[in-house]
Amino acid sequence: MTASVLEFSPENTRPFLQEVMEQSGQMLTACYQCRKCAAGCTVGDETGSFTPNILIRAIVLGDRETALNNELIWKCVSCYTCGTRCPNDIQTARITETLKKMAKKAHVQPVLPKVAAFHDAFVESGMRWGRLNEMEFMGVYELKNALREAKTKNYETVVKEFKTQAELGLAMLKLKRLHFGFLFSKGRGEIKALYRKNRYKQALKAKRG
Amino acid sequence: MEIAYYPGCSLQQSSSLYDHQTRMIFSRLGVELKEIEDWNCCGATSAGKVDDFLAVVMPARNIGIAESAGFTEMVIPCSACYSRTIVAQKRMQDNPELRDEINSGLTAKIKGSIRISTIMEVFLNHVSPDLIKQKLTHKFRGLKPVCYYGCMQTRFPYNVPASDNVENPQAMETLLKLFGIRALDWNYKTYCCGASAAVNDPDTALNLMAKIMKEAAARGANCFVTTCPMCQMNLDANQEAFCKKHDIKERLPVYFITELAGAAFGISPEDMQVDRHFIDSMTLLKELEQNEHKDK
Repeated sequence: MTASVLEFSPENTRPFLQEVMEQSGQMLTACYQCRKCAAGCTVGDETGSFTPNILIRAIVLGDRETALNNELIWKCVSCYTCGTRCPNDIQTARITETLKKMAKKAHVQPVLPKVAAFHDAFVESGMRWGRLNEMEFMGVYELKNALREAKTKNYETVVKEFKTQAELGLAMLKLKRLHFGFLFSKGRGEIKALYRKNRYKQALKAKRG
Repeated sequence: MEIAYYPGCSLQQSSSLYDHQTRMIFSRLGVELKEIEDWNCCGATSAGKVDDFLAVVMPARNIGIAESAGFTEMVIPCSACYSRTIVAQKRMQDNPELRDEINSGLTAKIKGSIRISTIMEVFLNHVSPDLIKQKLTHKFRGLKPVCYYGCMQTRFPYNVPASDNVENPQAMETLLKLFGIRALDWNYKTYCCGASAAVNDPDTALNLMAKIMKEAAARGANCFVTTCPMCQMNLDANQEAFCKKHDIKERLPVYFITELAGAAFGISPEDMQVDRHFIDSMTLLKELEQNEHKDK
């Protein structure tokens, strides 16, 4: 992606901007495009110069399409350099996190589906057992990837990924860095119950508008 | 003295050597680490990307367990667990409503403000420099490490005061100096290694790691030192891959700070399980030890 042209959409600006600001808790209108975030962005070289300041600009202009469809929100490694350096205390990483959730809700296909699958599998596993079981989690994640690739008959990618992971797994086995026991936390039900209760509360709140 | 200990999932699995070393080093220094009961996963950065509430609840339960057991301080070696836990604590301090909501579902309630520490803070706050000097059996003068802090020790997605300088942290350098080891100054100490991108977006992650490696090599370092299991695993397990991709000749061991502490205290690398690294990390320590004997 090269430096893209942003669409200004006056009718969408306010609701979209408001939505992102509320969900991320960040005051986006304070951004004066000094580009300190861009200078510090770890993945700036990897996103075709689509840097955090451009993402903020897209949101402020109401360009929902660009905001939910760009490499930055998926390549962001949550290193928090942008937010640490921002003179106006805007945590752009909280915005990329928010946009990931909004994209999912709006059924927008992630630009990097593997990243989405990874975080989903991580949290699911951590919730299921109360502790993350690395082998089980990696297995579920790879299975999700393989199924997605198989749908588009992209078998070559599946085989390549499988080979890479098998090599790493073998190296880890040799170094005794694979754990065969099973970890869990007895109190995991507490977290699940609180999570469900909060989800219900959020849904009610959204309904009331 | 007794401090609550939260190992986190990776220290029980792929980085169990770090757990082993941490317990060993601190018991030698008279600091008793008590693993908290039935702790759960902190959610790492993934939880924040899936659900904000979850990102607070997961670490919150662990805080409640430690506080209910009567501890006033909890040490968390893993940088991701440390960061998530300290952020969750601050968010609940700033938002009593959120804290009450979480407390309503927890058996071990969150009370106030247990101190959450990195292992560097425990070293520097609870172990006297004199005691460290007494324990020293070796001076690894030939070691030229660069201290690699990564992201999560000093940068937070929320207004949490950092325990060290944000852009140029010094805790590891200070500690190494107590061991008689002088770290090199360099530019990439808080740069990101790519974290989970090594798994889900390897092209990006390998490029980031190569930048870190190039700078370390250019400064004449002969090893990395880190406290983060994710950084250690990334730079160690992927080193062959990113060096090949970017035409880098050097290979550098990626030590945990606990390994260098152990080496300085005369614990054999085998006992510390340094042989569980991907890049050979035994040879350098053994060579330095032999040279030391020759000097004497």
